[in-house]
Amino acid sequence: MGAMRLEKLSFLLPALLLIFIMVIYPILATILLSFNIDIVVGAKVSDKPPSLENYFKAFSSKELLNWKGVETGTFPMGALIHNALWVAIHLPITTMLGLLLAVLLQNVKGASIIRSLIFLGMVVPMIVGGLLIAFSFDKDIGIVNFLLNTLGLKMFVKTWTTYPDTALFALILGSVWLWTGFSVVTYSAGLASIPKEIIEAALIDGAKFRTILFKIIIPLLKPVTVAVVAMTIIWDLKIFDIVYVATRGGPGGASMVLSILMWDYFARVTDYTMSATIATILTFIILPIAIIWVKLVMRGR
Amino acid sequence: MAETTKLVIAIIIALIVGIGIGYAAGMGAVQTVTTTTTVTVTTPVTTPSPSPVGPPVTLTVVGPWSGGEMEAFMEVLKAFEEQTGIKIEYRIYRAEDLASVAPPQFEAGMAPGDVLITPWGWWIAEMGKKGHLIDLTGLVDENEYVSGIFDPVKAEGKVYGLPFTAWAKPGFWYRKSFFEQHGLKPPETWDEFVSLLSELKGILGGPPIVTGDGVGWPVGDAAEHFIIAFGGPELQLKLINGEVKFTDPEVKSIFEEKLVPLLKEGYFSEPIEWTRAVELWWKGDYALYFMGTWITGMVEDPDDLGIFPIPGTKGVVMGTDYICIPKYTKHLEEAKMLAKFLATEGQRIHVGTKAGKFATWLKVGIEDHWAPMQGVYKFVKEMQPVPDLDDAVGGKWQTLFWDQMKLLWVEPDRLDEILTTLDENFPSE
Repeated sequence: MGAMRLEKLSFLLPALLLIFIMVIYPILATILLSFNIDIVVGAKVSDKPPSLENYFKAFSSKELLNWKGVETGTFPMGALIHNALWVAIHLPITTMLGLLLAVLLQNVKGASIIRSLIFLGMVVPMIVGGLLIAFSFDKDIGIVNFLLNTLGLKMFVKTWTTYPDTALFALILGSVWLWTGFSVVTYSAGLASIPKEIIEAALIDGAKFRTILFKIIIPLLKPVTVAVVAMTIIWDLKIFDIVYVATRGGPGGASMVLSILMWDYFARVTDYTMSATIATILTFIILPIAIIWVKLVMRGR
Repeated sequence: MAETTKLVIAIIIALIVGIGIGYAAGMGAVQTVTTTTTVTVTTPVTTPSPSPVGPPVTLTVVGPWSGGEMEAFMEVLKAFEEQTGIKIEYRIYRAEDLASVAPPQFEAGMAPGDVLITPWGWWIAEMGKKGHLIDLTGLVDENEYVSGIFDPVKAEGKVYGLPFTAWAKPGFWYRKSFFEQHGLKPPETWDEFVSLLSELKGILGGPPIVTGDGVGWPVGDAAEHFIIAFGGPELQLKLINGEVKFTDPEVKSIFEEKLVPLLKEGYFSEPIEWTRAVELWWKGDYALYFMGTWITGMVEDPDDLGIFPIPGTKGVVMGTDYICIPKYTKHLEEAKMLAKFLATEGQRIHVGTKAGKFATWLKVGIEDHWAPMQGVYKFVKEMQPVPDLDDAVGGKWQTLFWDQMKLLWVEPDRLDEILTTLDENFPSE
């Protein structure tokens, strides 16, 4: 019996080894580096003594948290707040939109084509997505401003990505377009797994669409919602490419997010310990969400 | 219990092995670095000669140019290929991309190319100081170049970059035909300048000056022009050296009394991607464009180009592209041949193209320059050259400066906050 277990373990070891080398070790090294503890011998990434200095520097930096901006409600408010705003706006819109579109497209002819079109946003490389967002919100050639003009909302017509009060919102709205495909497809797959008999029984009992939606579909789709919510929050918190391309965190830091800040310290300043600090902060924000999601998924199973 | 113990032991072993491999990788990287020590060139390399018999060498050159600018540069590379038989592969990396991509590669003992070209002298000096670049001291005769041109790429007494051709950011470009059509002439006083803007706004029904954007440098360039126009070249130098703060009354007044009123009057457009801005300006949507001399090679008819600075301006921002060689190149001798060629005879070829550049090698005469640039050269020669503010300071502050200027352009009322931010983040060294 013991030999059998050892044999099983030997199958597991290569995978474990790879995980340790490729995942655990870099994570540990990054966390230690954020405290100026350099565990990669010879690389000399940090020449400072071990301390909490980087965390003090990060949390006292206006780029991470700009209290004055928060108090006055003006941008920039700091990358932490910007990421939080991203979650607060992007998450409910994409989740609800995804659910609504999936339900509405359920019995529509050619729904798969429409779903594919919506999913295109997910297929487009995010660098291209960032460019599309920048162009879409351009004053002269952007579709958004064209629509605003057509609707007579001329007071909102401007290049959204160049103004501090609209840059972040332009990116978030653009991201809604890019990410909704994911929630639509995921919800559609979830809907397909709901037994038709349940819906039919409800219809025979005279239930209206609203009742079916709120009393049957949404409760039965809870595991799907958990997945969509968790994945969307993680997407929102580690958002990088579209911001990098469309605004690079500007103007005046008005659309700065944690991952851009981390990249700036890494590639622009080559301050690897500060970059590791921002990465660690970002990881510890994402980690509880990931743990809750995994727990819920396991419980659901 | 026994199983748990075994699992824990397995995990510990895996962790030790993992860390061991990590250590080994780290040591390996270090060994690579230490074995390729910095090479100091003490004797100048002579005229490029054909490469010795052996497998054909292909050098990878990384430069910031695309489109027409790239075509002009390719003429230089082609000449080198013909002279030496060395093949060249050209890759486009904007300065900001190279500054992002190269350092991590350097740390890993690699490089994106054998010869790198960037306008950011500060970056070359910084990478040289960190030991990632070849010391090029003595490869060319510094006395044969424009005075002070090597200063930005020197660190600890070594020269880590060679100058290529230069550009200037002399003022506002306009189309002569547009001005003739509307009976306009370049202003000679500040009041005339403001009146001209007002008149142009009336003609166009919108902002007369198009503002270039990209990552933000064109906006910063325009702001610097105001600093030099009203504070003189010496103020620009003081700002670069950190001797004067942005919140200093002298600096603040330039922004407050000269630039901000124009922004508030709507004389500048919103920042527009700078190459698209060239097209819009050329087709008449805007009348003026503050841009560098390379614009001469980007328009259909350079003879229709006119230029004027803010009246009374005595200085002009001039800069050059620098050539450097990462010490991780596998073709060091060939890379040095190319670097020397680019810094000398290559300049003669480059300034003769539509690149819109000047030579920094004094052996290239004005007659070697492309005809439209000869006129610009004479115009610029009357002014005192000063370094580009953000290029000279560099680092994270450079992008901060661009970003803050973009903010100023769209929200000029936030001037105080912007100037304070620039001061707070100015590098202490």
